Amino acid sequence: MAYQRVYEVFARKSRGEPLRHIGNLNAPDDELARVYAFDTYDEEKWFDMFVVDRANFHEVFNRGDADEAASGVLMAGG
Amino acid sequence: MSNGSAATTRDAVRELILVLADSKRLLGMRYAGWILGAPELEAGIAAASMAQDEWGHGRLLYALLKEFGDDVTAIEHEREPDAYASMDCLDDPPADWPGLVALNVLADGALSAQFEALRESSHAPLRQRVAKLLDEERFHSAHGVAWFRRLAGGGDATRNALAAAVRAVLPAVLQWFGPDSDRARMLVAEGIVDAAGSALRDRFVGGIAPLLDGVGVRAGFAGTFDGFDEARRRANPAGPDGAVIAQVRGDKNRVFLLD
Repeated sequence: MAYQRVYEVFARKSRGEPLRHIGNLNAPDDELARVYAFDTYDEEKWFDMFVVDRANFHEVFNRGDADEAASGVLMAGG
Repeated sequence: MSNGSAATTRDAVRELILVLADSKRLLGMRYAGWILGAPELEAGIAAASMAQDEWGHGRLLYALLKEFGDDVTAIEHEREPDAYASMDCLDDPPADWPGLVALNVLADGALSAQFEALRESSHAPLRQRVAKLLDEERFHSAHGVAWFRRLAGGGDATRNALAAAVRAVLPAVLQWFGPDSDRARMLVAEGIVDAAGSALRDRFVGGIAPLLDGVGVRAGFAGTFDGFDEARRRANPAGPDGAVIAQVRGDKNRVFLLD
């Protein structure tokens, strides 16, 4: 099949609540990503739902390694 | 209105409900056939979701037959294939994924066009259920259109397979809207539907023509209604094959039903 993109799926239970990341899916375009998100994630009654092409996520920063190392130390200590 | 024609309207509404319920039941089976084996995992999930929607709509519609004095359990579980009023084009499973996409756009689309004509129906039990049902159908239509464009925009082999699937299904789908008969005129005159026969067919064709252009198929109806059973909205009297009807009736599961 054609080139696939990864879409992240966000939803919230009620108006005003922060969006929650609820999963991701593969789709070739925005149109099918919407359909697949509805079919896959609408088991719960969400107030609204969004899909975002992962390519449109622009990293601001990533403390990655440093954070993991820090939490590792904390867990080992706790 | 004489009592005779009033009774006829009632019969026609009952038959229309059965046409819609049986078609949704069979369409659900056709979607279900692709829960496994669709071109991508997400498409299989979509097929499962659409199958469940169709069966839900089918059950809701069968339940409406109770007010006509029907035994709904018998209607759902005891009829033979030749009593089914499902669309001809759903008698056989689609041969390939383009075949399913063609049913998604054409058969599911035609059913939704019929429900659109019932939005303001004078038959209250139908009218009260149409909005929610059509709301659930929005994603069926979006799925069909997105896949149709994707296949139409693929290579020659893909586009040709889709064109062949469309040509195989389209004549029966267009015929399904039926002739401009006394029955069609009566349903419009009584406010059951806001369009029937060629008017409803033209409305449907207007919606799908741009898509069909993409695979070089013109959506005009050139068929006849010879042998077309207006009550069942079918040309082939035999109905779907016995195996699929046994499956939709749940014959093998009846023993597990507890009162």
